[in-house]
Amino acid sequence: MRWLAIHLPALPLEVYARSLQVEIPMAVSQQDKGEKILLGNRRATALGVRPGMPVGSAQALAADLKTLPRKPRAEHAALTGLAAWCGRFTPELSLEPPYALVLEVAGSLQLFGGAEALLEQVANGVDGLGYRASCCLAPTPGGALVLAACGHRGVIADLHALRTALAKLPLSALGFGRQGLEDLRRMGLRGIGELLRLPRAGLAERFGVERVQHLLRLLGEVPDLRPRFEPPTRYRGRIELAVEVVRADALVFPCRRLLEELGGFLMGRQSGVQQLTWHLHHEEEGETRFILGTGRPERDPQLWLELLRERLMRLSLPAGVRALTLGARDLQPLFPADQELFPELEGRRAPDTRLLDRLRARLGDEAVRGLVLMADHRPERAWRWGAPGEVGVGRGRPDRPLWLLAEPLPLHVCNRRPWWDGELDLGVERERIETGWWDGHEVARDYFVATTTKGERLWIYRDLNGRRGWFLHGLFG
Amino acid sequence: MGLDQLLNARHDLCRGRAVSAATPAGLSTGFVALDALLPWRGWPPGALSEILTDRPGGGLALLKPALARLSAEARWLLFLDPPFIPFAPALAASGVELTRLLVVGGGEAAWAAEQGLRSGACSAVLIWGGRWGMATLRRLQLAAEAGGSAAFLFRGEDAANEHSPAVLRLRVRHALAGMEVMVLRLRGGRGGTWLELPLPNGGGGKSQFSSPASHKPTEGLLRQPV
Repeated sequence: MRWLAIHLPALPLEVYARSLQVEIPMAVSQQDKGEKILLGNRRATALGVRPGMPVGSAQALAADLKTLPRKPRAEHAALTGLAAWCGRFTPELSLEPPYALVLEVAGSLQLFGGAEALLEQVANGVDGLGYRASCCLAPTPGGALVLAACGHRGVIADLHALRTALAKLPLSALGFGRQGLEDLRRMGLRGIGELLRLPRAGLAERFGVERVQHLLRLLGEVPDLRPRFEPPTRYRGRIELAVEVVRADALVFPCRRLLEELGGFLMGRQSGVQQLTWHLHHEEEGETRFILGTGRPERDPQLWLELLRERLMRLSLPAGVRALTLGARDLQPLFPADQELFPELEGRRAPDTRLLDRLRARLGDEAVRGLVLMADHRPERAWRWGAPGEVGVGRGRPDRPLWLLAEPLPLHVCNRRPWWDGELDLGVERERIETGWWDGHEVARDYFVATTTKGERLWIYRDLNGRRGWFLHGLFG
Repeated sequence: MGLDQLLNARHDLCRGRAVSAATPAGLSTGFVALDALLPWRGWPPGALSEILTDRPGGGLALLKPALARLSAEARWLLFLDPPFIPFAPALAASGVELTRLLVVGGGEAAWAAEQGLRSGACSAVLIWGGRWGMATLRRLQLAAEAGGSAAFLFRGEDAANEHSPAVLRLRVRHALAGMEVMVLRLRGGRGGTWLELPLPNGGGGKSQFSSPASHKPTEGLLRQPV
């Protein structure tokens, strides 16, 4: 068994900071006999901000320091989101709140090119989601977690190497709490190395059975069973914005973080989705919600990002945005070579729908349409708008014009004959269309193919009901 | 200044008759006389063509035979900001497969045209709306090349005085017997020729073709340059 631990030392800060493309001096505070700084970022630290400092003092040091309240729920949500993303590497993983995850990766090593390569891909991926992590791969989950928490990055090949690596760490790394640490110090120990050299026999009596068991699990001498993280059946990701966003295009960057996370989740489940639901949470009450859709299941974050960009361009925000939520459900199986299965069906295949997705995202659903034939004699009902690719029922008419006017245009009449750039030549053929009494859209018209003095051919009719005038209804183009 | 630099710098210059044997075969226009005038023996493939007309909606009849054939491909026929409703019964009768037809409004013709062309998901993109300058037209031409898609831009006759990177520019007017087509500009060929073409099938009750979808090339009457 091989375990890969991901430790996120700055998670309370990063739940906010990962929404920003550019680092600003920032710190997270929490209530501890007054509002105190929990953690500051690099720029805050450079200005002299330190953990434990009252917020007021920190702000006196750095006037442009952004202090934000710690949000434990957001931290847990971030950890869960990261776990969902990790599904692309392995289905076996556990949450280790507050700041870590551990992945069982024995089965994934070969697929990802070995331990070092896998570790690198995980570390780069986590970095791309906006987290600073130390990742460590070791033969036991506890060992990997302890080493990662101490900032150890890299691969520990076997139990012997693990023991050596642990031996160099301070006693506090074991996580026994204040009392446990006190007990160990009272035994005269200074590091984990000294503890490991003690004879096992008396250890349980002096130190407690539970703690010794913990130690043995770390070293891989007894099995270490951890609750398995059940990957959710749908994705829900949230990102807190460190700075209120008022321009929709400034949302692209934080949205991309969520799309990357979703991409990993979908890859782990070999699935795609056709619909993303976005919620933009405003400072005051309320939220803006919109849906991004595609014609077929997709998971590529880059593709979703392009659609999102177009959608955000025509979005006007009623108020500033403080947080984003991305939801995706109804996962559909997706395999890499999905479309190439039957290349011989080329002619019958529907055209690529990705173009439709892009056009709809920017122009709106109603701007992207197909034409559908209808079995009706009335020209305005012999067709209708439909979804692109929708199959109609009617038949073609070679005697019809290429263009139809949405509204028939009344024609000027002179000497009882219709005019359009001069007197129209009505030709010899007349077609009477008289129908529709049964659905309340009755028409009674005589249609002619008229020719203008310049040779342009028009489709005109004389209304036999009501106004009895002449109308232009189509152009032969 | 070398010839290439000059050609790049001056949009009003173009290389004459450079394409000959290497000219890729185009898609037949469906009119023998027009095909004979064009070095591609048809519409230029993967390129921008301009069709100038004096009436909105004019010139579409000239494309009907080509559209019918293009709609057999598993790609879209994109109509961008058409001036009127493309009438489904007439298109279907010309052999156009309506399920390939995509009608897009929204008034962002330049953007949408580039998307359609570049995606490779369209066999042809027909564009009516939009304002066009040299830079946007050049983008269209590049996108058409990249996507292997034919771009047809319908413009008013006054655009004849504007520079354009289009490889083909035609002026289409109504004539008593059909259409009068004038080749205003042709990359690698001779401009200034004009011819009169009968209308393809449809219109006026009497069909020119025995079968609407036969795509039989229609003879045209070639005239000498004026």
